[in-house]
Amino acid sequence: MSSRGWGQQRPRTKTTSIFRSEVMSLVQLYIPSDVARYTVSQLGEMGLIQFRDLNQDVSAFQRSFVNDVRRFDEIERKLRYLQSKIAESDVDLYDFLDDEFVTAARGPRDIDEMEERISAHEGRVLRLTAAYKEMQLKHVELIENKHVLEEVSSLFTEISGRQPSTPGPAARRGSAAGPLDSVPLLGRSDTVSSRRSIGSMDAARGELMLDAEIGAVAAGRDINVGFITGVIARDRISTLERVLWRSLRGNMFLNYVDIEEPIGDPRQEEPVYKSAFIVFAHGETLRDRATKIAESLGATLYHVDASAEQRQEELIDTMSRLDDLHQILENNRVARINELTAVSEQINTWFTVVRKEKAIYHVLNLFNYDANRNSLIAEGWCATNDIPAIQSALHLATEDAGSNVPTVLQELRTTKEPPTFVRTNRFTEGFQNIVDAYGVPKAGEVNPGLFTVITFPFLFALMFGDLGHGFLMTLCAALLCYFEKRLAWMAKDESLRMFYSGRYIVLLMGIFSMFTGFLYNDIFSRAMAVFASGWRWPDDAGGEGVVVEATKLAHTYPIGIDPAWHHASNSLLFTNSYKMKMSIVLGVIHMTLGICLQVPNALHFKKRINILHVFVPQIIFLFSIFGYLVFAIILKWSTDWYARDASGELTHISPPSLLNMLIYMFLRPGSVDESERMFRGQAALQTLLLLVALACVPWMLLVKPLILRKEHNKIVSEGYGRISSHVRVSTEADGMAGAVIVAEQEEMQADDFDFAEIMINQTIHTIEFCLNSISNTASYLRLWALSLAHAQLSEVLWSMIFLPTLKMSGSFQPVAIMFGFAVWFILTFGILIGMEGLSAFLHALRLHWVEFNNKFYDGTGVKFEPFSFRAVLDEAEEQA
Amino acid sequence: MGGASVFWIGVVVVGLCVGSLFTFKSKTDPTLWRTCTILTLMCCYLMWGLTYLAQLHPIIVPKRDDLRVEF
Repeated sequence: MSSRGWGQQRPRTKTTSIFRSEVMSLVQLYIPSDVARYTVSQLGEMGLIQFRDLNQDVSAFQRSFVNDVRRFDEIERKLRYLQSKIAESDVDLYDFLDDEFVTAARGPRDIDEMEERISAHEGRVLRLTAAYKEMQLKHVELIENKHVLEEVSSLFTEISGRQPSTPGPAARRGSAAGPLDSVPLLGRSDTVSSRRSIGSMDAARGELMLDAEIGAVAAGRDINVGFITGVIARDRISTLERVLWRSLRGNMFLNYVDIEEPIGDPRQEEPVYKSAFIVFAHGETLRDRATKIAESLGATLYHVDASAEQRQEELIDTMSRLDDLHQILENNRVARINELTAVSEQINTWFTVVRKEKAIYHVLNLFNYDANRNSLIAEGWCATNDIPAIQSALHLATEDAGSNVPTVLQELRTTKEPPTFVRTNRFTEGFQNIVDAYGVPKAGEVNPGLFTVITFPFLFALMFGDLGHGFLMTLCAALLCYFEKRLAWMAKDESLRMFYSGRYIVLLMGIFSMFTGFLYNDIFSRAMAVFASGWRWPDDAGGEGVVVEATKLAHTYPIGIDPAWHHASNSLLFTNSYKMKMSIVLGVIHMTLGICLQVPNALHFKKRINILHVFVPQIIFLFSIFGYLVFAIILKWSTDWYARDASGELTHISPPSLLNMLIYMFLRPGSVDESERMFRGQAALQTLLLLVALACVPWMLLVKPLILRKEHNKIVSEGYGRISSHVRVSTEADGMAGAVIVAEQEEMQADDFDFAEIMINQTIHTIEFCLNSISNTASYLRLWALSLAHAQLSEVLWSMIFLPTLKMSGSFQPVAIMFGFAVWFILTFGILIGMEGLSAFLHALRLHWVEFNNKFYDGTGVKFEPFSFRAVLDEAEEQA
Repeated sequence: MGGASVFWIGVVVVGLCVGSLFTFKSKTDPTLWRTCTILTLMCCYLMWGLTYLAQLHPIIVPKRDDLRVEF
């Protein structure tokens, strides 16, 4: 059973265009509770509805599905834990995604099963890791113990070695200390004595004390000289020494040996170099104190027996325990890697599913329960064109859930401002991004994106015109567009994303640059003689430093600038004048297009007043000044200033200066200098245009506010007050017994009529328009400036870097040419295409944002952000 | 060719623009393709026309001082 047929069916517009944003509908869904999860899942896959929050006054913790969200948060945490473990243990992460499970409808049982498996994996990994840590500690302990046992023997020997003549138990013990004691210690005793710096004592005193101590050790075995042994980080040993020396007042003897290999302590990040030490001290109390001090400094103490045989036995025992532990550690590691490998195959799928499920419950939290709590009520915006697709998705979801209670979709009638949804494809997307960066169009407003598609690359190309550079740019962009699927990874890279998402913009920019480059007759700053030149250089004149003038032939170079200008010494004089005038003409036309776009806006929003009293005076104002300037430019170009009449007299006096003409049009209205006159009646026309322009100012300023006030007064005088600013959203709830109207009352935009505010706005608007029409026109001169800079820079690169190598002579010229070409090409790519391209891009951007958009575009809309899993997953990936 | 050619080619371009209004019948956004065609035609025509007009009656002539006399 289809759920179509409820609600009001509006006529659907068949095709859509990016000229305006989509027609949006506010829809209400009645979803049976048991279908809700499936429905939201289906809608998330499609990404067509932007849900409204119906529980705005309910805090995030009190919503219906908080527990489910928490549950998936917890699973996600477990997955993240597993992922971090996988990363630690060098197991490869699989990119495998179980499409079946990720996209198809998942029942609650599937989810439970998945959760169980994840929890089981997590538990096992946790246990294994804990056991591993514990055993590692044990391992470190054993290793340190082993070292202490080994080193202490040598320390004992050292002492006995220093006083070979002293008879006593220590010496006897030393000689009986087993094979370790036979290690020659001569070399070591040197180093030991050199690093024996006890406290800040001078060496002599230290020597004395040491001797006394050793005497005590040697002689007083019975008078309770004991020792403590342990391991401490190597950099702490001197601290230990000093502290012990001071606190025991010198009644101690400390010796230590560095352990060669670093010891990997699991509590520390990196392996630490440590030393084994032995402290002899007199009496139980002092030893206790020494123990405390050593421990407080981070030493680990190990009990070592005084007798060498005992030590030897302990050492053997420790070694065998170490071997066992090694085996256990290895087994643990293998088990952990097996576990993690099993997880890594699935973790991608699980992450995706968990994120999707979490998103589903987040959305469900936006919904409201109906009175009986059998069904959920959702409200959201969608494109009216997408309603059939949504309805089939609802139908599918009902089938997935195995339910026969359908979800009901109903369109609401509302006065709320819908979000703006401009349906773009991969070609228009980049251009729309340029517009959205300035402002998202209001619903129904003319979208400048449509025009930007062509005007943006064209204005760019006017500044970037060079056939060669344009070709290289087109080539790069074409590769990007051709391999766009294979290069999709670029979209995820921070710095390459700009180029990837703008690939179609760059493609068009390149193509237009080739066209403008052809017209500028520039290919890598060289000229092309495609057609016959309209100028002829004399054959018989010339020579170094002699100025020769070309003579004009009957025809004009048909397409583009004549190559004769290319090496002329006065070529800049010509190209500057040409490019400046062209910038002004194209700029005025571009702005005119912008002003004209007010008309469709006014028609759409049914504001006739905006056409009659905003658009008309504005266009008259612009045309009476700058339209006239454009007319004068064309007129000056198409007049032959050196034509002679039948009697051989010049028909014109001299070519006029257009700049002066415009200035004197304001300064001395009504009079035109005889030498500057272009046509008869010029003075009168200029005066008329000036008056018209002046008349337009009060027209723009006053008429619209006054009319608005008159209309308002009329309404008031007829007895109608202000309409209540609270408008209830109504539903066509016929036959829907018990349906709850959820749409809350929305405060309308204040209807208050405030004449002062309107007047102030209008004043600002008028002043802005009049001043901007001057500054904006001048602003289009950047087209000339940038194009001049580009042409000159590429000329410099050619003549300074590549050209000299061509003029060289000698046997290494080929090498020089290769080298010169490489440098020239790299600089061409880096500076001319890269940096110059970027700057031309920015200037084109400004011309669109400021000069074009401010003529008609509000850009105060809110972007349509439908609930879609793709967006959710992308966001999650970005955070990870 | 003279200045009039700019006018006549302009007429042709406008004709093409009008023609493009009836050409694109695609279901996916015909407005976009029509607008693109018209804008492209207009942009290219304007630039060509302005370039052509600028050279029609030159006020200055190209000069060079690095020419060698042909023997």
